[in-house]
Amino acid sequence: MHGAPTAASAGAVGTVVTRAAEQQVALRLTGIDKSFPGVRALDGVDLTVLSGEVHALVGENGAGKSTLMAVASGALAPDGGSVEIAGTRLTGASPDEARDLGLAIVRQDPALLPDLTVAENMAIGVGHRRVGGIHRAVAWSQARLDPWGMAIDPRSRVDELSVEQRFVVEIAKALALEPTVLILDEPTEHLNLDEVSRLFSRVREIVAGGAAVVYISHRIPEVKQISDRITVLRDGSVRGTFSTEEVDEAQIIERAIGRKLEAVFPPKGSEIGSVGTDEVLVVRGLQGEGFHGVDLTVRAGEIVGLAGVQGNGQAALLRALAGLAPAEGSVSVQGEPVPRGNLAARRSGIVYIPADRHAEGVFMSLDVAENISAATLPEVAGAGFVGTRRVLTRARQQIEQLGIKTPGPSTMVSALSGGNQQKVVLARTRLAAPRVLLAEEPTQGVDAGARVDIYQILRETADSGAAVLLLSSDGIELQGLCDRVLIMSRGRVVEELTGDEVTEAAIGRAALMSTQLRDRRDADRAGGFRRWIRGDHAPALVLGALLLLLGLVVSATNPAYLTPFNLNNLLFMAAPALFVGAAQQVVVLGSGFDLSVGPLMGLLVVLSSFWIVEGGNLWVGLGLMLGGALAVGLINGVLVTAFHVNPVVATLGMSMALQGVYLALRSTPGGIIFPTVSEWVQARFGFVPVVTVVAVAVLLVLELALRRTRWGLRLRATGSRADAAARLGIRTGRVRLGSYVLGSLLVLPAAVVMMAQIGIGDGRPALSYTLTSITVIVLAGTSIFGGRGSFLAVLVAALLVQQILNVSPLLGLSQAWSYWLPGLVTLAAALLYALARRGGLPSARRRRATTVAPGGRS
Amino acid sequence: MSTSERTSTPVAAPPRAAGHAGRTVARLFGGSWVPITVATVALLAVSPAIAPGSLGSASVLSMLPFAAVLAIAAAGQTLVVQQRGLDLSVPGMMALGAVLVTALPQQYGVGVVPAVVLAVLVPALFGLLNGVLVAVFGITPLVATLGMNAVLLGTVFAVSDGTPSGAADGLNRFTLDRTLGVPNTVIVAVVVIAVAAVVASRSIIGHRLTQIGVSERAAAAIGIRVNRYRLSAYGFAAACYGAAGLLLAGYAKTPPLFLGDSYLLPTVAAVVLGGTALTGGIASIAATAVAALFLSQLGQLLRSLGWPDSSQLIAQAVVLILVVVLRVVVPTAWQRWRGRSTS
Repeated sequence: MHGAPTAASAGAVGTVVTRAAEQQVALRLTGIDKSFPGVRALDGVDLTVLSGEVHALVGENGAGKSTLMAVASGALAPDGGSVEIAGTRLTGASPDEARDLGLAIVRQDPALLPDLTVAENMAIGVGHRRVGGIHRAVAWSQARLDPWGMAIDPRSRVDELSVEQRFVVEIAKALALEPTVLILDEPTEHLNLDEVSRLFSRVREIVAGGAAVVYISHRIPEVKQISDRITVLRDGSVRGTFSTEEVDEAQIIERAIGRKLEAVFPPKGSEIGSVGTDEVLVVRGLQGEGFHGVDLTVRAGEIVGLAGVQGNGQAALLRALAGLAPAEGSVSVQGEPVPRGNLAARRSGIVYIPADRHAEGVFMSLDVAENISAATLPEVAGAGFVGTRRVLTRARQQIEQLGIKTPGPSTMVSALSGGNQQKVVLARTRLAAPRVLLAEEPTQGVDAGARVDIYQILRETADSGAAVLLLSSDGIELQGLCDRVLIMSRGRVVEELTGDEVTEAAIGRAALMSTQLRDRRDADRAGGFRRWIRGDHAPALVLGALLLLLGLVVSATNPAYLTPFNLNNLLFMAAPALFVGAAQQVVVLGSGFDLSVGPLMGLLVVLSSFWIVEGGNLWVGLGLMLGGALAVGLINGVLVTAFHVNPVVATLGMSMALQGVYLALRSTPGGIIFPTVSEWVQARFGFVPVVTVVAVAVLLVLELALRRTRWGLRLRATGSRADAAARLGIRTGRVRLGSYVLGSLLVLPAAVVMMAQIGIGDGRPALSYTLTSITVIVLAGTSIFGGRGSFLAVLVAALLVQQILNVSPLLGLSQAWSYWLPGLVTLAAALLYALARRGGLPSARRRRATTVAPGGRS
Repeated sequence: MSTSERTSTPVAAPPRAAGHAGRTVARLFGGSWVPITVATVALLAVSPAIAPGSLGSASVLSMLPFAAVLAIAAAGQTLVVQQRGLDLSVPGMMALGAVLVTALPQQYGVGVVPAVVLAVLVPALFGLLNGVLVAVFGITPLVATLGMNAVLLGTVFAVSDGTPSGAADGLNRFTLDRTLGVPNTVIVAVVVIAVAAVVASRSIIGHRLTQIGVSERAAAAIGIRVNRYRLSAYGFAAACYGAAGLLLAGYAKTPPLFLGDSYLLPTVAAVVLGGTALTGGIASIAATAVAALFLSQLGQLLRSLGWPDSSQLIAQAVVLILVVVLRVVVPTAWQRWRGRSTS
């Protein structure tokens, strides 16, 4: 077809015929059934994939392709039927087992860990043995990525990569496993023509090597080009398997949708003349993040499609029009300019249907009726109070008119099938009487029946005089529904297709041809220093400078500061801060939180005061402390991992319980700590306390372990994205449990220092260390969501916190400052990091994490 | 995949009866006002049997003011939890309310009424600041409110100069008095809770707060100015803490400087017991208030059994963790049991 290395494809097709007889079955699915609430996703599906072939799986959104492959890869348990990989039957739903049998899958939502580097991701993905140890991972990954020519630096963090770079990493990872069965689920969605042809030549190579490839796509021309056989899936059933040579594109489309296009799509406004002359939506010179110089006009009654390779600004443009992202330029609706902001857009009659239905479309834990009236509450309210009965009546009307399948208006919307959830969104949208409707992938993860209804509703909305802008990655949908289609590339509208030009093939061709080049951020190749400054250790440098500066200022104003006595005191008191900071860091890296640090320290001090006293036994005392720390860590960890208790609640409860326990043991301070032990603990070299040296050493070891050991990798992986880590075979529960135990164990030395310092059994002075531990990690720039942090930064941050507390009396500050300083430092640090992290948008991080729209259950 | 597993609970069961029972079980342990009300009534009923006199009028009258204070503070915590936060600045906010209402008249000569107003308004401003940090700057609620708590305690220290002041006589008398036999503190609490509960569950504002709590992004997509609502949730929450602090200060006559320290866990416990999910969204202030009554009566019962305060801390923590764990364990176990019995 267009621009493909035709010689190679002809060769591949040619060999199939001759080899067909001796080909072995690489993947055999027999009688697969799978139901989701309200939907029969798969119905007795049989599929046989031979080694040495590219087997395409074709079907519309919601036909069951991804569900079928989730079953094949062991990620989802079927209700019935069996999966056989290379002749061995899968015993249960286990991705590990499937992988061991030689199956690799590239999903629409790549299993990548955003806070880890590319090399670390590849090492986890393919196993350390294949890579040859973590220290070789960079060179090994470089060798696997270079052929793609995407300028991916293996030392970059994944969250710094663009979407297509992430896909290439994911594909390279799967190829490195040397699979016998490789499943590619919509792999070209984010790729340009060049990248697609590179992917295809790799696919042909591995097929020539005897592997089988299952290729899922709704881009029919690509399927024609790459595959040997095609299986068509519709409504969860196989509608036939064909040799690719025997069918043409039109036949494939007809089989995928099961009827003529005209039967699925309502007549177009441009054909029956319902498109008005009013220019309802007029956009001039609009620019924002991801798009620029956009001019477009949508008239009343018109449905205009937005197409292009994903990530070329289509979605960003839609969000900006909905007022959800800042943009400059002019937008007007029926001649009235639209001010900034989502509320202003809404007031101008712009209504947005988001692609990510679960997170952004519906309110999952609210009922159907609430969802339907969500956007139009004032219409069902009197004097500011919502009329429940009116909400229900309206919901019943919409349920009936749109044929929403739900037990009733009070059913939670999460219990509905994808298609019916989307109909709820459309009901809400209809009630909002849009003048401009922005629909982003409205049929993703929607079953066939509902999809036809959705097309109907979109057309009716247009017919009622609204301007509809439809973003879709499905060419058939654009062909069937749109009066015009705009192709976007690199943030601009580059082509417009009208009338007879609006066909699946033309749209696909235009999108690919216009996106041959791409702006690539070569900053990723920047020098060592720039990478370092973006890295986890950078805060250490800034904090170190602050530490020195503060020291200089104070020593200039107060000579008492530089005395060995004060320095010794400062460093000695820094030891517990170092240990509790490290403890909190370990837990937070695994995306946990520990509020029981301070009270645990208090409990351990009180425990020590019963045995580490005159006539007691040091070892029993230490044993008790160790036992206490272990028990608390285990209980916290079990509550969080086994019982899924929110870490904050679990450790808040624990912290109160621990306070109760130590108060019950000693309601007033008592039990003089054996002085000899105190002296040991306070031993020093010159003015440098030994415990502080030990603490620094422990932190350095932890830092090394975090980067260089599998434990460190697993901990960061779990904290970065637990679901992806689990998919990669990491036992995230155990890792998190371990982090709580290790965290509590790190509190133990802090308690020993405290015990020596106060010399008496009293838990209360330790309470403030919970805040100290959190101040330290916040200062150190540790990601509070887990996955990223540096013990070097914790080291410097702990010293800085102690320094700040130490200097306030030297500067003659009142006692109020002993509260203000840690509080203000925590807030200021959190604020600075928050500002540094986001590039203008408050939720940049969250959005970045979800740039790749989840595939839904199709 | 996890979504589909979670969502399969309500309708996946073909046999109607089992499905209905399953829903009931899920509701009982998944959070609603019913279980906590039943538990509270049960607790009140068994109290006299366990400790004679623990439901006597003297006992109840000494418990109720504390329940009132806790209920008001917990109402605030409910608003924050609804926004998927957790407010760790409760102790500082209550202490600030208390110190303003006591120290301002005694040390600075401010009238009692303006002091009462300030004791609510000033914490509310700090609460708005919490909201700005969380909503506008995207700081984790935990870190923002923990840092804010330290700032508030410092402020309390600065305002009071480190020494507690006594509450003005007028305020003290009001909090100790009863109207028609009902302690004034309880009347205040009932009014505050009733207004807050009706607004939160019935008004447009309340519906929007719920929507934002369920999903900020979905709320933004339908044109709600999410940040404004989140800001005001934190502001109103702090006003509640301030009010709770001032009532407690009035009742205690000479309150300790940091009187809120022991209220952080109970507010969280009351919210959780009241059935509001920590994942945000649907919240019930009324249920939280009932839970506050439950916790206070539990404390009273333990006290009449001679338990020291330290054991009370443990008991509260155990109740909190137990309820949270049961909410996870019971529906899962039920699901498994039903799965076995139907297949």
